[in-house]
Amino acid sequence: MPRKQVQQSRTGKSSAPKNLKPMKMKACPFCKKEIAYIDYKDINLLRKYISDRGKIRARRVTGNCTRHQRDVASAVKNAREMALLPYTTSTR
Amino acid sequence: MRRYEVMVILDPELEEKTVSPSLEAFLNVIRQDGGKVDKVDIWGRRRFAFEINKKQEGIYAVLDLTSSATAVAELDRQLNLNESVMRTKVVRPEARSAK
Repeated sequence: MPRKQVQQSRTGKSSAPKNLKPMKMKACPFCKKEIAYIDYKDINLLRKYISDRGKIRARRVTGNCTRHQRDVASAVKNAREMALLPYTTSTR
Repeated sequence: MRRYEVMVILDPELEEKTVSPSLEAFLNVIRQDGGKVDKVDIWGRRRFAFEINKKQEGIYAVLDLTSSATAVAELDRQLNLNESVMRTKVVRPEARSAK
């Protein structure tokens, strides 16, 4: 509730209200396609969800919902255990 | 009875021809228990993302099973006892959607 009040008071100023609007979340790509199970063997898919250093991308980057982000994370971790994906890659 | 998926990494020094017969020997545990082997997918040699036991590659195989939990646990135990098996992983792909 306090958030709403802040919005109203800020938009009242009328200067650049666009920046102050809450960011609209993208629809989760897995919910869209109705994928129930994220396979840890599907490395090409999982590659999209790790950075070039091998870290799992944050939800604000991937746009996944809570449930699918957790599934992606555990799939990446399973893939790492089987040496399909790296734990870290030091590019330097 | 449930569906299981077992991934096995075998020693790369193994002859690739001997892989499927040796896996069959392991799978007898499942068959004797009344389980079913749905698919045996041998990926062949594959480079690791990182070194395991001073080796850069391994022979991957994926086994799809329909079996009881105890038989899979026993299969996993026997695989891990074998020297030429580097790693195993048992997953139940339908674990969540079944709920």
